[in-house]
Amino acid sequence: MRKKLLASVLVAAMAATMLAGCGSTDDNTTGSTAPAASTTESAAVTTVAAEAESIVSAPTELTFIFADGDEGAKASMNEIVNRFNAAYPDITVTIEPGNGGAYSEFIKTKDSVGEFPDVMEMRDTAMYVRAGKLEPLSEEITSLFRTTTEFNGQVYTAPLSGENTQGIIYNKKYFDDNGLTEPTTYEEFMTLCQTIKDKGDMAPIVVGGQDIWHMGFLFHKAYNDQVLSKDSDFIEHCYDGTKDFSDETMKATFQELKDIFQYAQDGWTSTPDAQITTFLVNDMAAMMYSGTHMFSQIDAADPDFEYGWFAIPSPDGKTRLVGGAGVGGLAISAEAAKDPDKKAAAEAFIKFFFAPENYKVYCETLNFIPTTVDEPQMDVSPVFQEVIDANASADDLAPMWNGRVGNNELPPDFRNFTYKTLTEVLQGTRDIDSACDELNKTWQVSIQSFNPVTGVGIE
Amino acid sequence: MQKRRKFDKTAFVFIAPAFIFFTLFIIVPTVSSAYYSFTSWDGVSPNVKFIGLANYKEIFTSARFGNALKNTIILTVFISIFENAFALALALIVDNVRWGKNFFRSAFYVPVLVSGIVSGFIWKIMYNYNFGTINTILKDIGMGDFRQDWLGNNKLTLLMIGVVLVWKGAGYYMIIYLASLQSVSPDLIEAAQIDGASPWQRFKSITVPLISGAFTINFTLSLINGLKVFDQINVMTDGGPGFTSETLVYLLYKVGFNEGRQGFGTAVGIMLLFIIIILNTLQQKFLRSREVQM
Repeated sequence: MRKKLLASVLVAAMAATMLAGCGSTDDNTTGSTAPAASTTESAAVTTVAAEAESIVSAPTELTFIFADGDEGAKASMNEIVNRFNAAYPDITVTIEPGNGGAYSEFIKTKDSVGEFPDVMEMRDTAMYVRAGKLEPLSEEITSLFRTTTEFNGQVYTAPLSGENTQGIIYNKKYFDDNGLTEPTTYEEFMTLCQTIKDKGDMAPIVVGGQDIWHMGFLFHKAYNDQVLSKDSDFIEHCYDGTKDFSDETMKATFQELKDIFQYAQDGWTSTPDAQITTFLVNDMAAMMYSGTHMFSQIDAADPDFEYGWFAIPSPDGKTRLVGGAGVGGLAISAEAAKDPDKKAAAEAFIKFFFAPENYKVYCETLNFIPTTVDEPQMDVSPVFQEVIDANASADDLAPMWNGRVGNNELPPDFRNFTYKTLTEVLQGTRDIDSACDELNKTWQVSIQSFNPVTGVGIE
Repeated sequence: MQKRRKFDKTAFVFIAPAFIFFTLFIIVPTVSSAYYSFTSWDGVSPNVKFIGLANYKEIFTSARFGNALKNTIILTVFISIFENAFALALALIVDNVRWGKNFFRSAFYVPVLVSGIVSGFIWKIMYNYNFGTINTILKDIGMGDFRQDWLGNNKLTLLMIGVVLVWKGAGYYMIIYLASLQSVSPDLIEAAQIDGASPWQRFKSITVPLISGAFTINFTLSLINGLKVFDQINVMTDGGPGFTSETLVYLLYKVGFNEGRQGFGTAVGIMLLFIIIILNTLQQKFLRSREVQM
């Protein structure tokens, strides 16, 4: 009898635990019973909602996926979706997990299995536009932004933020204690690195080289300095055959990177991006080269850590930054748009997302530069304000080399191949000439199936 | 005249579910992969363009495929040898210990239960240059000069991945060896002992021939597993540094799913299928000829 009683209690406890698990608030999932937002602001939105006229003819559900690898992105997206669900009782936006780092593959897999989301953060815009998977955005939406990217006269993405401006984030206390100052020229920057290296108490720069995309930050900086500064249509010229990757500017790119990487920490090839904050806040490295999204990660890792920011000047003395609206952003699935209710709901969601009071949450949390005409009033840190000011005064503001469209769009497999080849050069297993040859060979293969200049792979 | 066999409805009913699932999930995808390998499909677009043998031509001329094939062979040979050697050693230990037999058997089997992804994460943390367990211990015991960038040094990366695969897989093969060892008749061992055979002679001349069936199974499995390695590479190195640890399956995944070249990826998959069939056939032929029938 006692055994039976014990068994019953255990079963009940187990069931309760499971039910509790099911009912727990998952950061990633916002169902139809999404709690109303807790802020006063959202309470106000809820009130507006109750009074708002329904924009759908029947209760409508939307699936929404975004790259949720960053905690800040997850928190802010959840907050905005909660607000929307509270504001539009007839519409339920459900966030589905976005699989963090491998986002592009994840979206492709969802598409393959027939679960392409209704609304999503789109990154490989050109590919999906060509595949007819995205719905053009209305004028009402596109007019919300300062700049957008067009494909044959149509806009398919609402840019979530200005391109992630990269620069050096440094240990301010260490700089102050050692009388180090922000460099104003490229030579000063290299001298600064050498000074820190000579001191020997920490690595000059921390690089998260294990994540191949992280290599893109410094690669783009050198490529921008050496290639784009001399020929902004270099890729187009490689497509039409007038240039190739043995170009002197490309060799100079590799050389600039070799010069910079001699100051990277030991073990940079096996250091993941997620670990570089640890290096900075624990006095293991004096500087990191990354985007503004790192500010919130540094604050989370050590709220007392003091940091500064500066752009690395180009060797020719100019300041070239990654900035402006990119090709990615929120997009609506063409399939979902066939249903008038879903289309109306998706458009309402995007407009709601970019309303200043909601968009502010996203930009503030992630330290992103807003893209909207009606900019949110952001309460930003002085460091972030420096980035915004640098964007305004930069000599050149452009998207990443792999984020360009039209005749300068890269073949799908070329970016990663370049970064991996670069790693070989930086590790000394391949010389620069051989790396350029490898890039040429792969390029020749790639353009057989993708060449926007000749139209191959574009139709 | 041979009598025609009667159609057995009961047998058909039992076979049908497995046959249908196998056809749907193995045969159909394999055949459709063969088709896509002749196309330039990007994995998304509804337009699938037939490009003949272009993908295969690229495979035979691509340094990247050659590098992935070389890495796959190195890893496969490494784990086939060391996984089996390690597993056999563990099986002999478990078979011969006087106490705690069940404990050792379970303890050695635990790594098998850990998923490939999880084991990859665990070892990635242990191998980490700056914060990893291995380098920390080396530093703490005054051997800091021996610290290595285990996954970042391109001379060590494949070896380190191989170590993880051996650690994870050996327990499984141990169970097969153990079952085989326990089926060896004690009478034969005892007779050899009486005849004055040393332990090594008994092992070499009696035990090994009698467990050769287990060798065949284990070498076949480790060969196939070696050719299919993916999880640990995905988690630990992402095929890097550079292309150092890119294997065929990883290349297939990267080009197919990450780089939008599903057509080329499936061509790599088809090549892998043929490589597995050829190697497995050769291996079976070699190992079967050495088995002793009791």
